[in-house]
Amino acid sequence: MAYLFSASVLIAEGTVPQDQPTLDNFRIILGSALYRGVVLRTFVVGFCVGLLVVVLAYPLAYFLVRTRSRWKGALIALSLAPLLGSAIVRSYGWHVILNQDGALNSLLLWAGLVEQPLRFLPSTPAIVIGLTHALLPYGVLSIMTALNAMDPALERAAMSLGASRARTFWRVTLPLTLPGVAAGFALAFAISIGAYATPAILGGPGTETMATMIRNFMLALLDWGLGSAMGVILLASALALLLIAALLGGPARRTVVAAP
Amino acid sequence: MRDGADRPWIALRAAVAAVLVFLLGPILITVAASFNGSARSTFPPEGFSLRWWSEALSARWWEPMAFSLKLAALTALLSTAIGTPLAFALVRRRFRGKMLVEALVAGPLVLPTLVTGIALLQFLHALGLGALVGFWGLLIGHVVICLPFSVRTVAVSLRAMPPQLEAAAASLGAPPRVVLRRVTLPVISGGVFAGAAFAFVHSFTDVNLSLFLASPGERPVTVAVLAFLEAGFAPTLAAVSVLSLVIPLVMVALLERVVPIGAFLYADPGRHR
Repeated sequence: MAYLFSASVLIAEGTVPQDQPTLDNFRIILGSALYRGVVLRTFVVGFCVGLLVVVLAYPLAYFLVRTRSRWKGALIALSLAPLLGSAIVRSYGWHVILNQDGALNSLLLWAGLVEQPLRFLPSTPAIVIGLTHALLPYGVLSIMTALNAMDPALERAAMSLGASRARTFWRVTLPLTLPGVAAGFALAFAISIGAYATPAILGGPGTETMATMIRNFMLALLDWGLGSAMGVILLASALALLLIAALLGGPARRTVVAAP
Repeated sequence: MRDGADRPWIALRAAVAAVLVFLLGPILITVAASFNGSARSTFPPEGFSLRWWSEALSARWWEPMAFSLKLAALTALLSTAIGTPLAFALVRRRFRGKMLVEALVAGPLVLPTLVTGIALLQFLHALGLGALVGFWGLLIGHVVICLPFSVRTVAVSLRAMPPQLEAAAASLGAPPRVVLRRVTLPVISGGVFAGAAFAFVHSFTDVNLSLFLASPGERPVTVAVLAFLEAGFAPTLAAVSVLSLVIPLVMVALLERVVPIGAFLYADPGRHR
């Protein structure tokens, strides 16, 4: 309940530096090329993450829903288990892989593909990879929900009329589950623009996102006005995305509120 | 099903295997790195050593870990205690402002937790309660962000319960109190436990809210790890990470044997039609 009040305080703090309502903080953020760059980078990262999440999650979700393997339950648990770890656990593994002495460099050196270890960190693509990995289970959940809600008789009907498996998938299954895909995309997009741990671990001073910037404003620079203004921008963007997800989502919308 | 049209199915299996490797590989690599003999984040590990584990289990890391466990347990308890009656009210009663209550409950779930964190931080200071930052501030914040799980799972089980059950018990002469205790609560207990488990895990793994409400002496393990990261990377963190993944995993696995909480994660056709 405290939320509504705090949200209004937030907006007030974002707009009222000294008892004087003003939009200066927003003007500062949107007027500075540096901060605009941060907002833009966050959106590019979020968009790429959303796209990668649904592309990677679809085959997994499809398999998990349709398989008759007796390992089905275990495979579902295995695919969703990463949700039990914090984003820190999941991003740390990527640090072990991507750092200069890490797994990828060892592999490249061993294979003779490079002479010197490459620098993968800190970088924006590393953040995209880390976030995609962290949010993949959400995509799997969204798409599984959509697949479960679909009547399997429709696929059988298409195939009994002579359509191949592939044609059935492209003409029947995919269009019917597209709302779940859209919901998964928007959900991953919305969560990733507000994620702090992954950009903090895999990024650096040159790859600030809105979340790391807000943390710097609030805890390092102690400029709560600017931090709040950035927070309002983040909030508005996430709301817009989730609204789109809710409008497109249909049955898959449930996932948005059922996943931890 | 094993005929010529199986080729797409085999391609699918390959894709699934690749995605699973992508999903689980980094976690397995973290486990391997925690036994690294070298002090740098090298991979493959140079030699085998348990010193990072002994460091991870020392007081320095055990304290924030215990803090997180206490916080998560209290959060689960409180959000279940508040969420269960709230779910009853939302499912069973009609009242003015119901939509508003629903929106307030669901709000913190769909909005960025980070924003909830900075809002709550400023809210506490605006009320002159800045001293609450630390354990109490974290507890308030975690209950706010975890409440939706309890409300949602209890509401799902309440809606799934056949209404005749309660009517039958009442027609056989059971007073409302007995109906609630002997019929309704046992039937929805799955939802209650699932909500508590989700709340525990969500609280235990939270970074975005805790970052702003932790104080130097009172901070959960996630925040302690992030603070440590600013000084550099060490295999200790791999051990701490593995430990903080294993604790909720074991807890949920044990609970799953008693209550099928996994069923609440995604919509199964059998449950909704």
